[in-house]
Amino acid sequence: MKANTSLGEVVKKDITPYLVFAIPLAFMAIFLIYPMFITLARAFMPAGNKLLFGQFSLSGFTKFAESAMYKKALINSFIVSLAVTGFCIVIGVPMGYFVARVKMPGKNLMLSLGILPIIMPSFVGAFTWVILLGRQGVVRHFLNVLLGPLGISVPTIYGMFGMILCMTLTYYPFVFQLSYGAFASANSLLEEAGMLMGASRWYIFRTITFPLILPSLGAGALLVFVRAIGNFGIPAIIGGDKYVLPTLIYFRVNGFWDLNGAASIAVINVMITALVLYLQKRVINRHEYETISATHSEIKQHEGLAIRIIAIVYCLLILVVSLLPQITIIVMSFYEKWVGLFPEGFTLRNYARIPVYSKKELFNTFYLSILATFLAAILGSLIAYITERKKPKGAALLDLSIMAPFILPGTVVSVSLLSAFSGASVIALGGTYTIIVISYMIRRTPYVYRSVAASLSQLNPSLEEASTIAGANWFYTFRRVSVPLIMPAIIGGSILTLTTLLQELSTTILLYSSKTRTVPIQIYGAVADGKLGEASALSVVLLVVVFVIVYAMNRRQGKSIASSFKMG
Amino acid sequence: MSLSLTYQHVNKIFGEQSKNPVHALKDVSFTIEPGELFCLLGPSGCGKTTLLRSTAGLESITSGQILYGKTDITAIPPFRRNIGMVFQSFALYPHMNIFENVAYGLRVRKTAEDVIKRKVTEVMELVGLTEELKRNPSPTGLSGGQQQRVAIARALVYDPDILLLDEPLANLDAKLRRYMRAEIRRIQKATGITTIFVTHDQEEAMAIGDRLAVLRRGVVEQIGSSNELYTCPNSAFVSNFIGKMNFFASKATGEQSAIIDTTAIEIPVKEEKVRMKSRARAGAGVLVGARPEQMEVVTTASGDTIEGTVQIIQHLGQVVRYEVVIDSAISDVPLEIDMPCMLEGVQERGRVYVRLKEGLPFLFEVEERN
Repeated sequence: MKANTSLGEVVKKDITPYLVFAIPLAFMAIFLIYPMFITLARAFMPAGNKLLFGQFSLSGFTKFAESAMYKKALINSFIVSLAVTGFCIVIGVPMGYFVARVKMPGKNLMLSLGILPIIMPSFVGAFTWVILLGRQGVVRHFLNVLLGPLGISVPTIYGMFGMILCMTLTYYPFVFQLSYGAFASANSLLEEAGMLMGASRWYIFRTITFPLILPSLGAGALLVFVRAIGNFGIPAIIGGDKYVLPTLIYFRVNGFWDLNGAASIAVINVMITALVLYLQKRVINRHEYETISATHSEIKQHEGLAIRIIAIVYCLLILVVSLLPQITIIVMSFYEKWVGLFPEGFTLRNYARIPVYSKKELFNTFYLSILATFLAAILGSLIAYITERKKPKGAALLDLSIMAPFILPGTVVSVSLLSAFSGASVIALGGTYTIIVISYMIRRTPYVYRSVAASLSQLNPSLEEASTIAGANWFYTFRRVSVPLIMPAIIGGSILTLTTLLQELSTTILLYSSKTRTVPIQIYGAVADGKLGEASALSVVLLVVVFVIVYAMNRRQGKSIASSFKMG
Repeated sequence: MSLSLTYQHVNKIFGEQSKNPVHALKDVSFTIEPGELFCLLGPSGCGKTTLLRSTAGLESITSGQILYGKTDITAIPPFRRNIGMVFQSFALYPHMNIFENVAYGLRVRKTAEDVIKRKVTEVMELVGLTEELKRNPSPTGLSGGQQQRVAIARALVYDPDILLLDEPLANLDAKLRRYMRAEIRRIQKATGITTIFVTHDQEEAMAIGDRLAVLRRGVVEQIGSSNELYTCPNSAFVSNFIGKMNFFASKATGEQSAIIDTTAIEIPVKEEKVRMKSRARAGAGVLVGARPEQMEVVTTASGDTIEGTVQIIQHLGQVVRYEVVIDSAISDVPLEIDMPCMLEGVQERGRVYVRLKEGLPFLFEVEERN
């Protein structure tokens, strides 16, 4: 009797889900966990690209104490990331408050324009600042003529000043959008209650409004820090002789093929990010509150003339400055050169050359991005389904490992994949399309995963149980009930993935071969060669494609794209 | 016609390996008769939903057997059990219109298109949604009561062997709730499917069920018809869960009598009103119980009255309810006493005397309060 039932159980159990779930788990193990492990191992090996197990060495790390270049890169990384985070908060929070709480026209337009800097490739922003503030830059030229008599000279864009300026203007939208969301959705009753108890506006802001937006602000600041410390494009183009960790990694790999040395730097880079993430979680967790109210009333907006004028001028100023790069590259793309005040030599040649010189790159960009997006969508959805619905024992670990690439700089992901799969490894993928697709999947699956996991946690499990009770097996339920209901989340996450992949540089730069060059690589090369017109035209093409996709999604879903970047 | 449903020594332990396992069902054994409308009743956390979900196969049980007729269905996965279930949230599919929602179970069974059409029409007629089916909107466009009917139709359309209803009325407003419970009883009797109805509302359970099972901390306390449970509760818990019961801390003076603590009032209890599991020994602590209508409030003291203070007077229509605070050594919660009319000269915070009507009180074992 006993044996009979257990045999029956084995036969009747639906094993399809386990087969389906094995695939994404295997993928994660082979292409994320294993390379990370190898990278960690390599970090403790002598310099070079050979896997020398058993030869323990700290040379990769001691360089941070010995080499001036390493030391400076580490310090620069710290200064740049912290400064950028600080400036983004200083610029973004007031703007978020103004747009949310001050009566002004064109709020929706401001919100949409405020997203542009993050959807534009950051290195494109960097080279347009070269046009504006470079040695012969337009704005610098103009300001120097104006301020010269006063003995003030505007620094060139190359170096720390440029990196901080560029990254701040690129990443402030995260803080702006997230703090706007928090200010706009805060429960006005809480503030009104404070007012009735006799508190002044400033007192209320300090004791009620601000503490309640802290979690959003913390999330925004973390996002900025993680991006700033992992950014490769901006320091590569305008860093000049000021190295930061990602450019140092690139230098180790591209200059010396020293994968072990690069791995050591990568480990340091990740440790800093992890430390910041930990500190942010600790601070924010103490300030996370549940909203204890069912009713919600409209928030009263400031209507005073003075504050309205200040708010509008402030927002316009920030928007214009942060959108200068976009305007500049559009102008630049139609001219031969731009030194001094005005661009010279109107031409359409920059565009005409694209099909001739960049056909392969265009094809590669779309082919790689779309393929990787499609696969990441499947992978991310399945893993989200496993962690949310099956709740396996290691769910937290699975969640952690899939979210890890979210904070890993692109160069670190490349280094880990190169560490594991280049040269004479068991699975040799060096220089192939496959390795790029895998790196894209590893880096962007968190977008789909987060989006789908959030959607699933909102979805009442009884919808799926009702299907099971009605006689449907797991696969039928998954196909007919789960997938249709989480489809909007899958599409949302995929579009975000696609738009960021179309402009991907920091991962691709270490993985591409002549066969697999992409448009961002081509732009990067053109900038390095001084062909700014061609680089601009290619950037405009990329920008238009990305903008159309994001605009279409915003129309369809009507939600802020910045909130989709948020993690945790 | 449906068959019977039998539970044999069903145990469910959540987190068996963890540090604090929860024993949600403890040795549950009973049988639900064919075609019966059976209510599982109990406070939240008593295990009623766990028992229902185990019946559906959505939870696996730790030990024991569940039999449908003579077939052991314990190991059969939920999608092979041929069960219909209505969820508290209704769980209608927002991405399908109401026809497709109802047809879902038939499509799973690869039923022919013309049969699907006929069966959906029939079942929608049964639940009274013929007009809505013609418009065929998305379920999100329906009212709560209509959504409830669609959910019932969806559970019935493929002729399930058993119908399970998990607090199906909890999401409806009070008026609709009373109407729908009559509707559910009508539909259940029309189909004759063995049905389990889970609720925490004793009034609902008494109104709808052929028989009721009262659960407490994973244990079935008592099974019976509404009338049996009300007139012959097996324990102090059941007596106070099915209707209201006032309790008086007392000492047994014999098998059928007790003296109320701190007083000299001796209460004789009729044989059928002694609801003890074992015989009471003289001197042992017991509880004398009396329902609100089995007591009276008077304004003058006598040998069989207990002194108290009126806390609240509520006029409920047919009766007037007095809440009276007495010596906390006897009862630490206010007594609830129903009188047929207002008493002259009795005000809130006023002094009164209460009396247990002769021949009506129960005798229970002392038990810890829930």
